[in-house]
Amino acid sequence: MNPLRHTFISRCRATANTSTTASLEPPQLRYLDIGCGGGIFAESAARLKGTRSVTAIDPSPEVLRIAEEHRRRDPALVGKGEGGGEGKLTYLGMGIEDLKGYKAGVKGADGQEGYDIVTLFEVLEHVNAPGPFLEHVLQHVKPGGWLVLSTIARTWTSWLVTNVVAEDVLGIVPKGTHEWAKYVNESELREWFAKKQGWGGNGGVQAMGVVYVPGLGWKEVNGGEAWGNYFFGIRKEG
Amino acid sequence: MPPRLPLRAQRGLLSTNTPPCRILLHRCYTSPAATATPEIYDVVCVGGGPAGLSLLAGLRASPVTSGLRVALIEGQDLAKNKLQQDASLDSFSNRCSSLTPASVKNLQEIGAWTHVNAARVQPYQEMQVWDGVSDARISFDWDSARSQLTPRRPAQPTTIAYMIENLNTTTTLLSRLAELGGVDTFSPTKVDSIELGTDTEHLDLSSWPILKLSDGKALAARLLVGADGANSPVRTFAGIPSRGFDYNRHGVVASLKLEGPGWGGPDHNIAYQRFLPTGPIAMLPLPGNMATLVWSTTLERAAKLKSLPLNDFVAMVNAGFRLSPTDLEYLHTMPSGQTEEIAWREKHTPVNERSIPMRVTDAQSGTVASFPLKMRHADTYTGERVALVGDAAHTIHPLAGQGLNQGQGDAAALVRTISHAVQTGQDIGSVLALESYNSERYAENNAMLGVCDKLHRLYSVESGPIVGLRSLGLRAVDAMGPLKGFFMGRAAGGM
Repeated sequence: MNPLRHTFISRCRATANTSTTASLEPPQLRYLDIGCGGGIFAESAARLKGTRSVTAIDPSPEVLRIAEEHRRRDPALVGKGEGGGEGKLTYLGMGIEDLKGYKAGVKGADGQEGYDIVTLFEVLEHVNAPGPFLEHVLQHVKPGGWLVLSTIARTWTSWLVTNVVAEDVLGIVPKGTHEWAKYVNESELREWFAKKQGWGGNGGVQAMGVVYVPGLGWKEVNGGEAWGNYFFGIRKEG
Repeated sequence: MPPRLPLRAQRGLLSTNTPPCRILLHRCYTSPAATATPEIYDVVCVGGGPAGLSLLAGLRASPVTSGLRVALIEGQDLAKNKLQQDASLDSFSNRCSSLTPASVKNLQEIGAWTHVNAARVQPYQEMQVWDGVSDARISFDWDSARSQLTPRRPAQPTTIAYMIENLNTTTTLLSRLAELGGVDTFSPTKVDSIELGTDTEHLDLSSWPILKLSDGKALAARLLVGADGANSPVRTFAGIPSRGFDYNRHGVVASLKLEGPGWGGPDHNIAYQRFLPTGPIAMLPLPGNMATLVWSTTLERAAKLKSLPLNDFVAMVNAGFRLSPTDLEYLHTMPSGQTEEIAWREKHTPVNERSIPMRVTDAQSGTVASFPLKMRHADTYTGERVALVGDAAHTIHPLAGQGLNQGQGDAAALVRTISHAVQTGQDIGSVLALESYNSERYAENNAMLGVCDKLHRLYSVESGPIVGLRSLGLRAVDAMGPLKGFFMGRAAGGM
């Protein structure tokens, strides 16, 4: 799944690269990974050439401890984040509500400079009130930056997969982990953002459906966003 | 994580045929805690043969992977083992390979092929293969491999493969690496030990292989590549068993001089292979009047051939393509005088000289040698922070000349896997990131190992219904152009 996240982010950035087109140097992007868990995405983003920094947050101290332990296995990731050493990765134990949001003209390490890529992977389906939660998240996206998320659509296939296959048949997910009713459909996200000023103009809305194929891993499926797991990306205009 | 080492080492001992003592010594004599802080590398390649060098050139040549910090460790002195640019064309190394167009294409893509000493490379356009017992014959060339209804395309390739000295291949790759720069090369340097790193306050290297070198340096490898040959110490370190068997055959090699440049003239060169019950005898063209021999035979006969004076050896090679298996059996038992005996017997054995290689007039002194034929296949090509390429992963019967090409294919595939991992921010040493390399190469190499092994077994039979059936098979394949094209495509590297 993780390599596909980068594939999707690259695709988003390629579709709406308006001003800085032909720069030879790789871009220096600032990432914010919300609900980073064990840090699999945060680590991979920090290893990329075009990354300036990765700030990864999660409110759970246990998972953050795992993430901190794991990053020590890679010399390229050790050291404090931005300005504090070699490493580009910073873990913060907090929820998104506690992180200071973007303010025009402010530069610095406290997050108020805003982020080029804000990621929200496999988080939305666990949230009780997606609307107010997304409002918090959006504050952190720089003008011209992207919010990229992945989640699962609320359809009969996903109901079957989550409640029967993953929990009962395979037993790979503890019972009650997912509440199918909380799932958000891609069409609902599109509608929600269509009503918001300053988001998703000029081709700044992207989606990609993915499906897990046993033996092959996660694969892209055209139109899959309508019935299962999907990526969704939206660009802040400016 | 100390238990991993002894356990894995034990497993390696039980299931491989490699002498285990060296590795055990390493483990016993080195202290568990690393004394000096190791230098951190993204890729450490052990072994500077064609596969390892091709991998490094591929990584350095691509902008995606050129940012990786890479090291090469080679026990031999790479600076000394180079082909001289002005080397005489009357003298060739006895270690030659048949490079497929697919391998050459890869060498072109990584920018190496322009450095080749082209005067010492001989493309060939035709293969003649026949059964030494029944004389059933198959000839391979691209023109007869098409179906009779399809017209010949002008762009159709005519070259089946390129004969090249292994030294020319490695020198070519070393020139390209010198041009690219950026490889920390330790040569001549031996690997004294490989063990896992330690978990300190700031850094947890407990999954990283740490290599201690004979010059006292220590390197930590995000990805350790074993390009270190059939007895690969890297494979032993990783606890990857390699299974297989010995054919109880030796391959006798020699650089030969022929009476002319071959029956096809200078622009149409032909490779010959005759299947004898003891194994195939093959003659492959080199530039000018030169050719290289690979004669797979029993250990006793190999020893006999190597002990003969050069004139008798030359007569035996000529006999190998002309006389019957019974004649050959007798000739191997003669203490001396093969030349005269063969001259007499050849008068009584009519052959169509134009369908077999031109007569050998001389063998280059010092080039008659032999090596044991084995088949080995590692259980897997990857482990945590370890990947195997070339002979470290597989050793094949040389009858189809695929060994070096498989190594080139491995190197190219591993470069692709590492590239993808870098582009998606993966740790290039993780099992997950390396998975695609293993799945891509294992099945392909396994199929090739199986085909070559079965061919060997098929042609070891001297009499009975199998001889008739295999002759029928050869003749049938020869008559069917498209099927032949399929076989040739495989031999040429999946084109």
